[in-house]
Amino acid sequence: MEHKIKQIINKLADPQISFADVRITFTDYENITFMNGNLRSYSNSKASPAIGIRVLMDGCFGFAGSKDLSDASIERLIVKARANAIQGAKFQKEKLSFPALPAVTGEYIHSPKMDPFLMPKEEKLNYLKGLAETIKPEGKIVNSHVAAEFERQEKYYINTEGSYSHTLVYNTLPLMGVVAADGGGVQSRTWPGHMSAGRAGFELFYEQKFEENTERIVKEAIDLLSAPVITEDKADIIIGAGHLALQLHESVGHATEADRIFGQEISYAGKTFVKPSMLGSFKYGSDILNIYSDSTDPKGMGFHPLDDEGVPGRRVDIIKDGILLDQQSSRHIAHKLGLQPSSNMKASFADDFPLVRMTNLCIAPGKGSLEELIANTENGYYLDFTKTWSIDDNRNNFQFTTEIGYKIVDGKITGIVKEPTYFGITPEFWNKCDAICGEEEWGYHSTFHCGKGEPGQVMRLSHGVAPARFKDINVSVKI
Amino acid sequence: MNEQLKYLHEALKRETGLKYELYLHTWQTDFLRFYQSQTNYNISKDSINLSARIYKGKKSCSFDIDTPDKAKIDEALDTALKMIDSMPEDPDFVDLEDDLSLAEPRTVANNIQEIPLEEKTRILKSLAAKADEHDFEIFGTFICNYQTSHLINSNGLDKIDTQSPIYLEVKAVQRKNQVTVLETFGGEDFAYFDEAAFAERLLTKIRFEQNPIVDVEPGEYEVILAPRCVAEFARYLSYGMSAFSVDRRSSFFEGKVDAKVFPDLVSITDNPEDPELIHSSYGQGGHILRPLKLVENGYFRAFMCDSYYHHKLGLPKNGNQGACLTIAPGSSKLEDMISKVKKGLYISSLHYMNFINPKETSLTGLTRDGTFLIEDGKITKVVNNLRFTEKISRIFENVMELEDTAYSIPFSQNYADFSVSTTKAPHARIKRFNISSSTKTI
Repeated sequence: MEHKIKQIINKLADPQISFADVRITFTDYENITFMNGNLRSYSNSKASPAIGIRVLMDGCFGFAGSKDLSDASIERLIVKARANAIQGAKFQKEKLSFPALPAVTGEYIHSPKMDPFLMPKEEKLNYLKGLAETIKPEGKIVNSHVAAEFERQEKYYINTEGSYSHTLVYNTLPLMGVVAADGGGVQSRTWPGHMSAGRAGFELFYEQKFEENTERIVKEAIDLLSAPVITEDKADIIIGAGHLALQLHESVGHATEADRIFGQEISYAGKTFVKPSMLGSFKYGSDILNIYSDSTDPKGMGFHPLDDEGVPGRRVDIIKDGILLDQQSSRHIAHKLGLQPSSNMKASFADDFPLVRMTNLCIAPGKGSLEELIANTENGYYLDFTKTWSIDDNRNNFQFTTEIGYKIVDGKITGIVKEPTYFGITPEFWNKCDAICGEEEWGYHSTFHCGKGEPGQVMRLSHGVAPARFKDINVSVKI
Repeated sequence: MNEQLKYLHEALKRETGLKYELYLHTWQTDFLRFYQSQTNYNISKDSINLSARIYKGKKSCSFDIDTPDKAKIDEALDTALKMIDSMPEDPDFVDLEDDLSLAEPRTVANNIQEIPLEEKTRILKSLAAKADEHDFEIFGTFICNYQTSHLINSNGLDKIDTQSPIYLEVKAVQRKNQVTVLETFGGEDFAYFDEAAFAERLLTKIRFEQNPIVDVEPGEYEVILAPRCVAEFARYLSYGMSAFSVDRRSSFFEGKVDAKVFPDLVSITDNPEDPELIHSSYGQGGHILRPLKLVENGYFRAFMCDSYYHHKLGLPKNGNQGACLTIAPGSSKLEDMISKVKKGLYISSLHYMNFINPKETSLTGLTRDGTFLIEDGKITKVVNNLRFTEKISRIFENVMELEDTAYSIPFSQNYADFSVSTTKAPHARIKRFNISSSTKTI
């Protein structure tokens, strides 16, 4: 395939083309879903191909993608990508440009501990069926599911600057959940929550302790049916790592995607309250808040040797000591903002157009364990396991509901609350962060499903976080 | 018949004791994305996908193949047949779809060819020039798709569905303060696109945005919901009208068939025969789609149910999926509706809604692309985006009147696969709409 992609890029060596890149991916995918103890669906695809050709001509990008890698298809895609760029340039005020980068090559081959595509199918299905039977409906549990998605993606990238990379990675998304009902209400609990994916194989089920938590989610779902709601207007809240990953994702991650500053995402995902003038001075969060984008860490799903426009993986401080310093950017937008490109241009598959995407966006750890943080909290709530999320198109006004809240009185958990809901304004909220747990609580929490762009793409990405506390947060929403 | 589909079909017919469902999907898109009144990027994409679900008794196995050829089909089928005996059973599976009814044949123009990139660019340049006169720039997408879906199953179904959706979304953004307004067109017949009328609707909204911007406090407001909002709330509400949600025990409508749930003036139908909507001939599994009354004069009438849940839950089978929802218009003029609001809000569009509790239809979301204060029956000011936390059932319970015209509103299904569907809705006047928080002007 290396030979083939090099042949394609050679066809794009044309003085009219100021930059071009080509990507090819092959993706294996497997999806297994048990409902109510029974196998509801099993599907797979093997070595699904995709190719994307992007050309910059007369200051405008044109792109063509397909799942057909035949020579005839490639010739057709080249013609189409060029035509799309030429026509696009006729409706353009500002010619797109960016400085050249030195040629770089990269290779990364990931080996999971338990390859989900090579392990015996019976072993995989029996394990999942065992989990499914443990949580199948009984009594007040009226519905349950156990699901697994496995992905193996091999990718080739090349550009006209001479950069080339070849990668092979495995990603896994495990999840289980139960629904409880008592005629009056319905409540649900999942494990390990919505940010459960990882750069791993089947071993993720063991690492995330699925078997050890079946009884817990069944009990908590039933207990939630009779649990009270939060009655205070404001409270101190500790947010668990799984849910904090989503809070970070929505209110910092998307807000600091620089394409939003220029409105490139207004039509779908929205814009951002961040303005170029804020860089270097805006107090985004409290002094203890340090947030960075790190595509150099292979433990996260955002790792890459090169991004999808040839920028080598980087670690970039987005927020340092609470101050907004940098952005997640493309080469074009970094150039407009006077920044170095942050290595955040990614496409889900080769036939997708690359966009500014989060890679491994992380909150640097603070100090202490979760147990200590709870013990040091006089009154408040410990919230985790995302149930509902919503944020405005400026990434400013957000509201989240978690599946469960644990009430803290005098440093001890004394009970649970159902559907705890909090809301806030992004910078006000992050400035109320007064404690972040330490390395011992820090880990990657990842998703398969970050949606962005048109045509839509869902990106695999990670957030490194530890639980953190936020003071005096508005929890007054009554549903 | 496509050669690969036929090859797989023939191979499966040689096996005994199997049930199967085969889909061949072809898909093309031409996608123009623009920002700041200029091209962002032009994209062309295409794909061919062959998928199979095979049953042996109550055991099943599925696979799908991009750009299929005989070697890939042989390998996938061989793997599936070796696996299937070891798969756990689904005791709820009884049979695949057996409705052999065929929809009336229809001619579907390929809108990728009918509306070439040059024509899209011309229209956008014209709109950009008009917006520029008011210091607005345009952002958005202009998309044409062409897709076919060919279904064959072991019960003798052999059905082809073709669509060519058009989706034009133009968001005008004021250069100075970034306030936005939205105008859209969706459908399959570009003859319904009236360029002058589209521009005039966009400019009318732009003129409203020239009013001063104010913040409003949280609380309950009388609101005029634009058709896009009514359509989107109905789409979310329709989750509870699905057999899937009944099975999940999360349907608001469970146990409410033929019960009065909304005021008399609320009627919701899944109507694939409406010519202004993007047409679907067949639902999941291949059941022919026919108009299905979901809510009739306030009474809940039926769940949308496919073959699987028909067998599992005993609900009547119809194949509907809510792809062509229509909310029946009322008898009021929009101007009269606005004139009755002493102090309230006009809400143009919604953003980032998510259920809190689907059984209760509670959710949260935000307003977007034009929220206006109404004072003494007139739109007077622009309001920043507002957050609502509501129950959709309560919103429909609180409908006071509906406009006498319903509009086809396009929605892009943009999360994984890209597709376009349409919902038809009128303006609605709603009492006691709960604004739960506001965002101050930055």
